[in-house]
Amino acid sequence: MAVASLPNQHVEHAEGGVDRFYEETRDLRLTGFLFFLFSDVVLFSAFIFAYLYLRNSGQSWPPPGIARLDVAFAAWNSVVLFGSGATMHYALENWKHGNFNKYAGFLIATIVLGIAFLGGQAYEYTHLYFVDKISWAGSGIFGASFFTLTGMHGFHVAVGVVYLTVLLLQSVHGVYTKEKYFGLTAGTLYWHFVDIIWVVLFSIFYLI
Amino acid sequence: MAVAATHVGGGIADHVHPEPQGFIRRYVFSIDHKIIGIQYLITGFIFLVLAGLLAEVIRTQLMNANGGFVSNNTYNEVYSIHGSAMVWLVVIPLMTGAFGNFVMPLQLGARDVAFPWLNMISFWMFPVAGLMLFSSFLMGAPVAGWTEYPPMSLQGEAGTSMWCAAIFLVGISSTLTGMNFMVTILKMRAPGMTLTRMPLFVWAQLATAPLSMVATTALAGALAALFMERQFGVPFFDPTKGGSPLLWQHMFWFYSHPAVYIMILPAFGMISEILPTFARKPIFGYKMIAFSSVTIALAGFMVWAHHMFTSGLAPFMQLPFMLLTFVIAVPTGVKIFSWITTLWGGKIHFTSAMLFAIGFVVLFALGGITGIFLASVPTDLHLHGTYFVVAHFHYVLVGGSLMGIFAGFYYWFPKMSGRMMNEALGKWHFWLFVAGFNGTFLPMHWLGFEGMPRRVAVYDPQFQFWNRVESVSSYVMTFAILLFFVNILVSLRRGKKAGPNPWKARTLEWQIPSPPHYYNFKHVPTVYGLPYDFSEPLPYRGLDDELNDAPAPVPAGAH
Repeated sequence: MAVASLPNQHVEHAEGGVDRFYEETRDLRLTGFLFFLFSDVVLFSAFIFAYLYLRNSGQSWPPPGIARLDVAFAAWNSVVLFGSGATMHYALENWKHGNFNKYAGFLIATIVLGIAFLGGQAYEYTHLYFVDKISWAGSGIFGASFFTLTGMHGFHVAVGVVYLTVLLLQSVHGVYTKEKYFGLTAGTLYWHFVDIIWVVLFSIFYLI
Repeated sequence: MAVAATHVGGGIADHVHPEPQGFIRRYVFSIDHKIIGIQYLITGFIFLVLAGLLAEVIRTQLMNANGGFVSNNTYNEVYSIHGSAMVWLVVIPLMTGAFGNFVMPLQLGARDVAFPWLNMISFWMFPVAGLMLFSSFLMGAPVAGWTEYPPMSLQGEAGTSMWCAAIFLVGISSTLTGMNFMVTILKMRAPGMTLTRMPLFVWAQLATAPLSMVATTALAGALAALFMERQFGVPFFDPTKGGSPLLWQHMFWFYSHPAVYIMILPAFGMISEILPTFARKPIFGYKMIAFSSVTIALAGFMVWAHHMFTSGLAPFMQLPFMLLTFVIAVPTGVKIFSWITTLWGGKIHFTSAMLFAIGFVVLFALGGITGIFLASVPTDLHLHGTYFVVAHFHYVLVGGSLMGIFAGFYYWFPKMSGRMMNEALGKWHFWLFVAGFNGTFLPMHWLGFEGMPRRVAVYDPQFQFWNRVESVSSYVMTFAILLFFVNILVSLRRGKKAGPNPWKARTLEWQIPSPPHYYNFKHVPTVYGLPYDFSEPLPYRGLDDELNDAPAPVPAGAH
């Protein structure tokens, strides 16, 4: 506390590396991006809380007159999404090791699987709407919570597909190097985040 | 770079970007945290005037027991927008956006916040959201108060949806600011500035930023749900379609109770800077003040349902929420006692900033004590929805937050503008404001105890005498704020030159010229200790050059 006390290890950076405190470094961006993902988790949590609250306030679930969701189809669709998480992981690893072709292949596979997941969700929505007659606004709290939450998630997947496509184009044009590739890290984190949210949504809508 | 390398420990100017010269890039779409802070300040003050005028409409209506100044529906619109604007467009942006942006990076020894562009974007969302909120008057403003409980908010006119959108937007702005500040404080401190050497204002911002980040996002969810229900009929809150009005209250208060601390923690930080400076004495209990801010922020997430004791909450839920709320009074009390002990035996200089800081401690403590009344279930059953609640939150928000904003403004105005505020006008402002404030809000305590309900346009004639006292006092308070704005304008033109450190304060922002250069610090200082030991030399190295006239060298390669 007194002036005489020794400065701590931070000062050791002072001789050579003070500038890193004032540059928008990978470290700053990564921290900021993790905070962004965290607040996105909170946004999902708000709606998940709302869903569980509403679900517990009624007598039975699904509410009378509403069929159970098709678990098998959604499970296969989940496999597609989780598979895309794996291919994304290998895409980043291959970038780090400098295998551009493998990287591009895995990234394209991720994008295709993401689109396939969205297609599956679109099929599920149309089936619910036309066959089971369940809609967003017309089916009480079931429609409201199911379509809002899975729709939010689907929106995140769609944003992710666009984002990964942009990353692919950027890396083709040489925006990233073997040392500086923060955009790819962010894309991977985002894609895993979307996966993890789906684990939660799948559990609370289809399994319990 | 060659220049940079020669200066040991200085870490010079590699990333000092040249100052933009055009008016637009310099003052409108600026990415400089100091300019953005002042933009927040000006915009926040404009909304303070607008929302304050709405308050005067309320008080004028309540001059007479049978009202008559505006229609009952207009009255509902006015208090709804008054509350919403004061919370989201005045206090929160001023506390975090204005003072946080201007002061916090300077106190850290940083050249800017972590993400300057993001900072600019966050700022520009704020005036847009403000205009949206006030434009709701054109389409039938919300009438269910700033809390907008369903089912009333579901029946409101189109303005209620506009309200949702406006608050959503200003919420995003505050979330982004919170992230920006978190990264700045965690990653951009000057060398040697450990967490326990940070000034207490920075500690307060560090406790506030995660609240803005987490709680505001949860509110965004609630607002989106309300908007969807109103516009598309998606049932979340309407009980006739299986929804639950209580769900809104949970989601809203899960945000809005932490928001109370977003509105007061930065003021705690300001007071912790101002009191030691003008008592010429080290702050008492530095670590206790710092950690109590964090404790308050964490505990703030666990008490939201104390707003819902009369809403049909299960009794087994009431007890834990009541006890947890009592617990929050402990870290708050730690702060109050630390401040009093800081003043004890000090050589107190009664500047305007100091008067407002002392006034803050007294009035905030009063508001805190009435908070304990409301946190206790048996008393709350009697007091809920009465003017006692209005008295309570105006003591903490006006006597607390707004007094803190005034204290901070008088304190940092010389740093922002390079000129001193007029002290005589400042003291008139203080005494008239305190008199008007207490005249307005003190009688509300007993009016509430006697059962006068809040949010009604007409009331029982037996309450008329004290309501008239309140209304007249509120005009005095408004006049005091007018003096404040006159003081700003006069001081900007005629104020005495301040020099770098008029208060002989010890935090980093006072060791550089007023107003600071675009790049803040020529050489990044090294920090060796706390800034509050008034008898010791300054705990910084590398500041020798700061007050020279020569500009910071910008390396040729800088972009």
